[in-house]
Amino acid sequence: MPAPAIELRGITKRYPGVVANRDVNLRVESGTAHAVIGENGAGKSTLMNILYGMVVPDEGEILVEGTPIPMSSPADAIAAGIGMVHQHFKLADNLTVLENVILGDEPTGRAGRIDFEAARARIVELGDHYRIPIDPEALVADLSVGNRQRGEIITVLYRGARVLILDEPTSVLVPQEVDELLKNLRRLTGEGLTVIFISHKLDEVLTVADEITVMRNARTVAHTRPAEITSRELAQLMVGSELPTPEPRTVEVRSEVGLRLESVSTRGSGHETSLSDIDLTVRSGEIVGIAGVEGNGQSELIETILGLTSPVAGRVLLGTEDVTEAATSIRRRLGLSYIPQDRHREALLLDATLWENRMLGHQMHPPINRGVWIDRKAARADTEQIVADSDVRTPSIEVLASALSGGNQQKLIVGREMAGEPRVLIAAHPTRGVDVGAQAAIWTRLSAVRRAGVAVLLISADLEELIGISDRILVILRGRFVGEFDPAAIGPEDLGAAMTGADAA
Amino acid sequence: MSAVTEPRTTRSVWGRWWVRVLLALLLLSAVADIANTPDLLSRGAVSASLRFAVPIVLAGLGGLWAERCGVINIGLEGMMIIGTWMGAWAGFQWSPWVGVLAAVAGGAVFGAFHALMTVSFGVDQAVSGIAINVAALGLGRFLSSIFFEGQPGGGISQSPHVGQIGNVSVPGLAEALDPIASLETPVISDIAEIVIGVTTGVSLLTILAAALVFLSWWVLFRTSFGLRLRACGENPAAADSLGVNPNRMRYAALTVSGALAGLGGAFLVTVASSIYREGQVAGRGFIGLATVIFGNWMPGRLTIGALLFGFTDALRTRQETTMTALLIVGAVVFAFLTVRAIRARNRGATFAYAIAAVGLGWWFLGFGVVPSEFVGFAPHLTTLLVLSLAHQRIRPPQGIGVPYRRSEAN
Repeated sequence: MPAPAIELRGITKRYPGVVANRDVNLRVESGTAHAVIGENGAGKSTLMNILYGMVVPDEGEILVEGTPIPMSSPADAIAAGIGMVHQHFKLADNLTVLENVILGDEPTGRAGRIDFEAARARIVELGDHYRIPIDPEALVADLSVGNRQRGEIITVLYRGARVLILDEPTSVLVPQEVDELLKNLRRLTGEGLTVIFISHKLDEVLTVADEITVMRNARTVAHTRPAEITSRELAQLMVGSELPTPEPRTVEVRSEVGLRLESVSTRGSGHETSLSDIDLTVRSGEIVGIAGVEGNGQSELIETILGLTSPVAGRVLLGTEDVTEAATSIRRRLGLSYIPQDRHREALLLDATLWENRMLGHQMHPPINRGVWIDRKAARADTEQIVADSDVRTPSIEVLASALSGGNQQKLIVGREMAGEPRVLIAAHPTRGVDVGAQAAIWTRLSAVRRAGVAVLLISADLEELIGISDRILVILRGRFVGEFDPAAIGPEDLGAAMTGADAA
Repeated sequence: MSAVTEPRTTRSVWGRWWVRVLLALLLLSAVADIANTPDLLSRGAVSASLRFAVPIVLAGLGGLWAERCGVINIGLEGMMIIGTWMGAWAGFQWSPWVGVLAAVAGGAVFGAFHALMTVSFGVDQAVSGIAINVAALGLGRFLSSIFFEGQPGGGISQSPHVGQIGNVSVPGLAEALDPIASLETPVISDIAEIVIGVTTGVSLLTILAAALVFLSWWVLFRTSFGLRLRACGENPAAADSLGVNPNRMRYAALTVSGALAGLGGAFLVTVASSIYREGQVAGRGFIGLATVIFGNWMPGRLTIGALLFGFTDALRTRQETTMTALLIVGAVVFAFLTVRAIRARNRGATFAYAIAAVGLGWWFLGFGVVPSEFVGFAPHLTTLLVLSLAHQRIRPPQGIGVPYRRSEAN
């Protein structure tokens, strides 16, 4: 048996507070299409970045065709014949396809002059050979998403890669482009190249992959072939079988509506999936979970409710008030709160103190606001209160937000958003990247808020979380709700299947 | 070949730059006749324009190199100041050419310093640039007090006399063209005057600057080094993923940027004057930055912008009456824009342009004189106007102003 094209042995990568890869083993045979699947945060992307030299592992070794290769930069990977097609394309929009393709590996003549003719000929030849035609002179900005991806694939082939890594290659494509891509991948393996691709779309994986490796919680947990497994079993492997016991729901959902969306559609910007004809009602004292693979319209949904995006059709109501055209500040005054998915980008000023962060979003409301002035004393007192109530571990409220751990930052944010008696709370991935203790604390807070009669919309990729604390779960796929589930009656594998569209819901 | 760097669009003959230059020449020639201001296109005016334009071209090229690699270099002004001081310091002791070398080296050091601040220490690009400008001012005065005070002609705010860089002329050309120039045939004579202006008594540094315009274009758009540099200005993460180190490229780009600005400073000391004087740079670094935008981040067009500024600047210092001719030019240009706005059915623009056209024409016919308070401001105003009118299809490098940090997490 020949040596495998790629072999990863005992790869471990730790980040502060989290282990992204734990003793990962992967064996990819030459000339095959190998799928790596797993939930968000299972460690797939980190593993691929390690393989491409962008991340250096703490332990373990990488073997290319049986020889251990030290990888400390993409240049090492390229030299070893490994190329990567990124999920978010790494192309410069203002440069042509040709310029992007040859970048870093230019055919040069005298005095460093680029031989454009040779480069063009080479690109056309590659396109013909692998039947991935592309116009070398086209400006990347003018290309469709599918063509940009072709550009990336050509870029990789141009460097003579024998192993192609594709990071969620189909997530940005429209269905016809997906078919085209899958056909191209088959053709590449037919030519003897090796393809490793990341996906969570199980149907695609089962169609195109020769072998499948499943990752969960930073480990590789299974290795299988499409013929030996069903999509349902795969989903089960992805999410694992252990589940928390759902806590008994003792609270009666009230009849009054906290948040309502009526036939809302959005235009969608760039890569973001747009919403089409969304109806959603969240009643007071209810947690509605939104399940879905990332990028299926969740961000648009959040932005529409917050007022960052205006819908092209439909209405948004907070309570009985129509806020479709209202500014975000008005919505917040009406009792809308928001726990953003990316706390560093949206929720916190990392270089500001805790009490200054406490004021964000409340700068126009008492007790922070007094006429045109900010009441610093009240803000400090209020922050002390939040720190005590939410068990934020900090030496003082004068420290910078960046000094806190992720979990404590998140507890502060949750505390802030609970202040001022909200009526509607949007919680987007509230426990992403926080430790187990903080996670439990945040779940308890969310349940307490529900008891107090707040309407909660929980957007999460963590199926345990959704099933554990939601009263109802809606599944979003390509900008539409495709199913509603009772968390007490559904297992994560069914939910996972519905999310990926592998199973008709 | 230009398709590699330019979007491929079929442009009418009016869109070609040489047609536009020819049209502008026709207009100026006609205006010189009508307003009876022969100095508008005289050889003197032409060679003065060149002299005023060269420092701005060099500053502009400096800005171009930095911005094409994704770093805004507001510190150009300061780097030019350093160039003037170093040029004078080395120039008066040894020779003007040593001064030029010292100016280039001084500028390069400050360019590299800007890179150290913005690339390695993550200081905001604008803050670092402004700091360099302020520091250069103070440094110039401080160093002058040490090195220039007590020297013959030197003081805290100026240097001793510095020798001049030599001039060259194309032999025989001026004599051959003189008869044509004195014919006073419109356009033909003007072209002869212009040719004489750009071939007679041209400083060697001017020739060097012209060569650097071409060289910058060639390096940036024809070599692998240039492609990598530009890629780092567009999408540094992409460049990094293909094995090009954006931080290293930015160091290189900023060092070149500073060197070019320093050379611009040297020109001020060894060609435009023969002395270092405080305040000599007078905002030319900033004007250079503006020409980068005007030139849509292309060296050739940037040079046209600098020449335009140099031209109005030269007119100002020669004969104030010549400025009145510019009133007609302005009126004609605005009349043209009015027609275009009418055709584009843009009511607001039509209105604004029409008022400007009528106002300028009325001023010329009614008063015939530009108030002297206004004259000194004319070059800036002209640049500002052209800049705001040329804003269509401007395409800055996408990664401009964004610090690049390699993130481990993704």
